[in-house]
Amino acid sequence: MNALKRLLRAILLRIEAAFEAVFGARLNPITQLGTLGWFLFWIVAASGIYVYIFFDTGVTQAWESLERLTHGQWFAGGIMRSLHRYASDALVVVILLHALREFAMDRMRGNRWFPWVTGIPLLWFVYACGITGYWLVWDELAQYVAVATTEWLDSIGIFAEPIARNFLDSERLSGRFFTLVIYMHIALPLAMLLAMWIHIQRHAHARVNPPRALALGTLGALVALSLAWPAVSQPPADLDRAPFQVGLDWFYLAVYPLLERVPGGTLWLLLVGGSVLLTLLPWLPPLRKAAPARVDLDNCNGCARCFADCPFGAITMVKRTDGLAFEQEAAVDPDLCMSCGICVGACPTATPFRRVGHLSAGIELPDRSVSGLREEVGAASAGISGDARVIVFGCAHDAGCAGLADAETAVVRLPCVGMLPPPFIDLVVMRKQADGVLISGCAGHDCFERLGDQWTEQRIANERDPNLRARVPRDRVAVTWNNPIREGSLRETLVQFRTHLRGLAAAPAPAQPGPSWSAWRARLRGLPAPLRIGGQAVAYAALVGVVGFFATQPAYTYLAHDQALLKLSFSHAGQPLKPCRRYTHEELTSTKFSERSATSCERGRWPVYVELDLDGQPLYRGQHEPAGLWNDGPSTVYARFEVPAGQHRLEARLREDGTADGFNFQSSRTVTLEPGENFVIDFRAAEGGFVFGLPGRADATEDPR
Amino acid sequence: MTLLQWQDNFRIGIEEVDHEHRELIELINTLHDSLAADRSAGRVEAFLGEVLTDISAHFALEEKVMRARRYDALAEHKADHERLLDDLRDLMDEQAAGVALDDDRFAARLSAWFGGHFATHDARFHRHLAR
Repeated sequence: MNALKRLLRAILLRIEAAFEAVFGARLNPITQLGTLGWFLFWIVAASGIYVYIFFDTGVTQAWESLERLTHGQWFAGGIMRSLHRYASDALVVVILLHALREFAMDRMRGNRWFPWVTGIPLLWFVYACGITGYWLVWDELAQYVAVATTEWLDSIGIFAEPIARNFLDSERLSGRFFTLVIYMHIALPLAMLLAMWIHIQRHAHARVNPPRALALGTLGALVALSLAWPAVSQPPADLDRAPFQVGLDWFYLAVYPLLERVPGGTLWLLLVGGSVLLTLLPWLPPLRKAAPARVDLDNCNGCARCFADCPFGAITMVKRTDGLAFEQEAAVDPDLCMSCGICVGACPTATPFRRVGHLSAGIELPDRSVSGLREEVGAASAGISGDARVIVFGCAHDAGCAGLADAETAVVRLPCVGMLPPPFIDLVVMRKQADGVLISGCAGHDCFERLGDQWTEQRIANERDPNLRARVPRDRVAVTWNNPIREGSLRETLVQFRTHLRGLAAAPAPAQPGPSWSAWRARLRGLPAPLRIGGQAVAYAALVGVVGFFATQPAYTYLAHDQALLKLSFSHAGQPLKPCRRYTHEELTSTKFSERSATSCERGRWPVYVELDLDGQPLYRGQHEPAGLWNDGPSTVYARFEVPAGQHRLEARLREDGTADGFNFQSSRTVTLEPGENFVIDFRAAEGGFVFGLPGRADATEDPR
Repeated sequence: MTLLQWQDNFRIGIEEVDHEHRELIELINTLHDSLAADRSAGRVEAFLGEVLTDISAHFALEEKVMRARRYDALAEHKADHERLLDDLRDLMDEQAAGVALDDDRFAARLSAWFGGHFATHDARFHRHLAR
C-alpha cells in the first residue's frame, strides 16, 4: 500500500509541478480538482435543464426530440447537449483524479476520513446519473444500456419479475420504466448535490469554486469541443434488433463490456467489495495520531481567532466553564483535530516576548509547545553566524527544509507553517536573531493542512489577525511554497534570498526600504508568457481531446455480424401444490360464520421447469421457483443467447405441475433468424403455450408433430 | 504609587471587556510596582512583554465583540489598537537596545495610551452600544 502510494505521489507531484510551471500555483488544475468537480457539476446541471425543456419524455418521441434539438438549434440546444455530455465526462476524469490524489497525498487518513468516506457514494451517484442519462436518448446505445443494465440489476435477484422484461421487444416495451428512469435522472443529481454538500461539511472555508480564469478556460475548452465535435445520437433504438456495435462512453460505461464475460452477480460483488475496501482505506493501517490541540483556559479569553482559522472545524466556541467574566472559551473536538497547530499560530497569547512566568498560549499542541518553540528558535539563532543568517521555518510536507541547515542557516520545523505565530518572526527579525526569516511551506494554494498557506500569507501581508506587525521590515521575510519534490526550487530560493539579504546589508541608507521579497520572488518564478499560454492551450486541448475521444470511441462490438439474439422470457404461475378442495359440512359448521369460506386452498405452487432445444441440441434447462413469501407467485424466466443467424429449429417444453416426467406444454418452430435480430420466445398459457417471435411472423409456423 | 486608576467612566457595559480592562490596569500596576525593586533593562522588557501579550489578547477579544455588534468605527478603533501595539513594541526594542527608561516619560506614555484610548475610542464604542 505504501509503495503504491509513494509511486502515485511521485507521479502526481511531477504532473503537479509541470502544471504549476504552465498555469502558476494559483490556477494549477491539479490542485483544483475538487473545485473543478463542482464547476463541472454546475455546467452539467445548467445544460441539463436546458436540454430537458426541449426533451420529449415519451419513449417513442425521445429520440426525435433530441434530433430536433441537436440539428434544429445546433447553436444553442446542440451546444448545451454536447456540454451536458462532455462536462459529465470531464467530471468523471476530475473526480477520479481527485480521489487518486487525495489518496496518494495521504489526505484521507485518521481524522480526515470524512470527506473520503462520503466521497465513495458520490462515485456511485455520478455513475448512476451518467447511466440513466444515456438511457434517455433512446438510441441504440440507450437500448444497449437499458438491456444490459436491467439484466445486470436482475442478477441481484431483488425484483419479483425481471425488469429486463420491460425491454424485451417492441411489442413488450414499457414506457413506464422509461419514465421512471427520467425521474431518476432528475432525482439522482439532486441527491448527489446533497451528498456533495455533506462531502465538504468538515472543511472550514471549503473551496467549491475554481479560480475564475481556470473556470473560464475549462468552459471555453468544452464549448470548443462541443462546436468541433457535437454530441449526437446513435441510430434510434429498435428492440427487435440488437445493435451490432455501439459507440460506448468509456468514462461511464467501461464496466459494461465485462458483463458479457463475467456473471452480473460477480461484478456487483466486485464493485460493492471494492467500494467497501475504498471506504476502509483511511484506517488501513490506522494512523498514529499526534495529540490534539489543548485549550489553556488561564490564557484564553474567547477571542475566537483559533476558531476562525481552524481548517477542519475542530474548534467550537462554547460557553465559559471556569466562572470568569468571559462569555466564551475555545473547545477542541479531538476527533476532528489534525494537530496542525494553525490554531496556535492564530492565538494572540502565543508570543515569545512573554518573559514573566511560564510561556503558555491559550491553545497549545501538547507535542509542540510555544515555550519549546521559543527555546528552539533561540538555539537556532545561537547556532548560526555570518552576514546573512537565515532561520527557516519549514513544514512537515515541504521540499525537505531540514537539508538546508548549514553554518548560516538554521531550520525550525513545524507541523504546518500556519502554526508559526507572527510575533516569532517579529522577534527574530527585530532582535536580529537572524538577518532574515524564510518560511518554507508545502505546495502553494494546496497546503496539506488546507489553509496554512493562505493564513500565513495573509498574516504577513497584514490582512488577517494576528498580523505580523507593520514595523517588521518585509524585505527580511520571505515565503516560499514548494511541493515535496521541488527541493531544487527551495534551495534556489534560499540562495536568492541570501543574495537579497546581503544586498540589504550593503545598502548605504538603512532608512531606505529595500526591494520587497515579493519582487524578488516574481523574478524567480515561471516560464516566459508565450510558453505559459501555449502550455495552457495544450493542457486544455489534451483534456477535451481525451474527453471527446473516449466519449464514443473505440466502438464496442456487442454482437458479431452473423449472429442473432434469442431470448427466452416469460412469467407463468405453476399449478398449486395441492388442488383446492371444498370444506365438508362438519368443517363448515365447526367454523365461526364470519370465518367460513367454501374451499380450502394451500398457497404453494409448483416450480416451472422449462427446456429449450436449438436444432435438436439442448440450449437451456431451468427450474424456476415461484415468487412470493408463500411461494404462490408466478415463476419468471429470462435467458438470452447469441446464436448464428440462419434457419433454426426451436423446440420448447414446459412443466408446471411437478410431474416426474412428461411436459404440460411443448411446441417447436423452424425460423430463419436475420443477423442482428432479437427473437423472443414467450409463454402465454391463455394463448395455448409458447409464442415464438412477434405476432404475424410468417416463417414461425408450427412444425408438424 | 499606583500608576493607573480604574475609573467608572471607563466602563463600556460589556462585562468581559470591562473585566479585561480592570485586569490590564491591575497587571500594569503590579508590574510597575515590581519594577521599583529591579529596574534592569531585562526586567522592563519582560514587564512590557507581559503587557504586550495581554493587550494583544484583549484587543483580539474587543475586536471580536465589535464585529459581533457591527461597530461602524471598527477600522479606526483597530488602527488605534495597532498603534498602541507598535508603540509598545518600539519601547520594548528600545529597552532591548539598552536605552535607559525614563520613569516619568514612561508613566506618562502609559497613562496617555490608556486614558486617551479609553476616553476617545472605547467611549465611542460605549455610545455605539447604547444606541
